[in-house]
Amino acid sequence: MFREVERKLINPNQFLVIINSLTDGLMVFDSENRLLLSNKKIEDFFGVKNEEILGKKIEEFSQFPLLKNLFFLLGREIKEVWKKELEVSFNLILETSVSPIFIDSNTKGKLVILHDITREKTIDKIKSEFITIASHQLRTPISAVRWTLEKLLEEELGKLTDNQKKIIQEGIISCQRMTQVLNIFLDTARIEEGRYLRKFSLCDLEKVVEEVIKSYQEAIQKKEIKLEFQVLTPKLPKVKIDLEPITLVIQNLLDNAIRYTTNGGIVAIHLKSTKKEIVFSIRDTGIGIKEEEREYIFKKFFRGSNALRINPEGNGLNLFIAKNIIEAHGGKIWFETEKEGTVFYFTLPLK
Amino acid sequence: MKKRILIIEDEKYLSFLLTKSLIEEGFEVEEVTLGEAGLKKMKEQQFDLVLLDLLLPGIDGFKVLTEMKKDPKLTSLPVIIVSNLGQKDDIERAKNLGATEYFIKANVSLSEIVDKIKNILKPSL
Repeated sequence: MFREVERKLINPNQFLVIINSLTDGLMVFDSENRLLLSNKKIEDFFGVKNEEILGKKIEEFSQFPLLKNLFFLLGREIKEVWKKELEVSFNLILETSVSPIFIDSNTKGKLVILHDITREKTIDKIKSEFITIASHQLRTPISAVRWTLEKLLEEELGKLTDNQKKIIQEGIISCQRMTQVLNIFLDTARIEEGRYLRKFSLCDLEKVVEEVIKSYQEAIQKKEIKLEFQVLTPKLPKVKIDLEPITLVIQNLLDNAIRYTTNGGIVAIHLKSTKKEIVFSIRDTGIGIKEEEREYIFKKFFRGSNALRINPEGNGLNLFIAKNIIEAHGGKIWFETEKEGTVFYFTLPLK
Repeated sequence: MKKRILIIEDEKYLSFLLTKSLIEEGFEVEEVTLGEAGLKKMKEQQFDLVLLDLLLPGIDGFKVLTEMKKDPKLTSLPVIIVSNLGQKDDIERAKNLGATEYFIKANVSLSEIVDKIKNILKPSL
C-alpha cells in the first residue's frame, strides 16, 4: 500500500500538477544559478510565462519589470534568505525564503519559496492607520476636558473647596495619562509602519544617559534607589543615532528598572564600547522575569505576571518599542535574569 | 486700545475656551473655523496675533501660513500654532513657514497659551 502511494507520487506528471497547484510560488535554480523549474504561481506573481524564463540565469531577470526586484533582493549568487519581504508591486508583497537543496546526489541548487503576504500586510497597515486616526481623534476631546478642568481650577467660574480642587487635579492627571497612552499608541503605529527614524546625527551617549537620569531624579529619590552610572571605556566614541527615539529607549528601560525595583534597591547603568559597537546595560535589583515568560517580554502588549501585580496599568508597549528602535539602528537588545533582578542590554553599531 | 487676536480653530468648544480665557485677560477676540475665512479676516481687519490650528477642513494651517507669507501686510503678524500634530516634522515645517510658537494641544494648558500671548504682545519699552 505504502509502496503504491510512493510510486504514484513519483510519477513526474503528478508531481508537476502538485507543484503547480501550490499557493506559494516555487523556483529551483541549478548550481550555476539558472532557473531549472518554476511553478504556475510564479507566472501569476510576476506576469511572465515560465517558458520565457526557464533556463535563464537570475541576473537575466533584470529584463523583466516585475521579476527584477527578485534579482535585486537575492543577487547574482542567490543569497540564502529567510522570510525576507519582496515588494513586487504596490499590491503584491511576497515573503521570500531561499534554501539550498541537492538536485541530485552531487549537484547543489537553490530552492526559492515565495509566499503571498499581501493580505496580512494590508490588514496590518489598516490596523496601524486605525490606531493613528483613533489616537488623533481622541486628542482633541481630551484637550478639551483638560482645559475645562484647568479653567475650573483657576476659580474664575467660582470658588472651590479644597476637596473639589483635589478631585479636579486628579482629573487633570488622568487626562495627562491618557495623552501619554495615546502618544505611545501613535509611536507604536509609526514604528510598525516603519516611519519612525529620520534624523541621524552623531551623539554623545553618556550625555544622553545623564539627561534621562536627571529627569528621573524625583522618582529615584522617592523610592530611595541607589543609582550608579559608570562609563567603563575612557573616551567613549560618539555614535550615529536618531536622538529622540534612543532617548525614549533609555527612558523606557530606566523607568522599568525603577518601577520594578523595591524601595532602597540598586539600579546600575553602564556604558562601554568595543571596536564595533557601544554597549549599554542597566541592572536592577527588581522583581525579575519569570522563566516561562522570558520569550514574550519584547512582544507587543505582553505584561509579565510579576510586573502586572506591581503595576496593573502598564501598557506592554515600552519594550516592544525599545526593541524596534534598537533594531532599526542595526543594534541588538536582550536581557539576562540574575538571582536578584534583571539586566537589560542594548548595542548600537559604530559605523 | 485692546490688542486683537484671531483664532482659527475648527473645534468650537476649544475655540470657546481660548476665547473666554483671552477676553478675561483683556484681549479682543475674533473666532473663525476655516482657513479661508481666517485669511479673509486678516486681510480686512487689523490683528495683533493669530492662534492657528493646523488640521482644518479645506485650507489647512500650513497653507494659511504659506498664504500669509505672500502678503507683505501679514508677514510680520505673529502666529501661534495650537495643534494636535506633535511630530518633529510638523513642528519644523510650521516654524519654517513663519510660525512664532508651536503648542501641542494635549501637552499645553490654557494658561500657558495665554501667558505666551501676553509675552509676545507685551508693550515694548
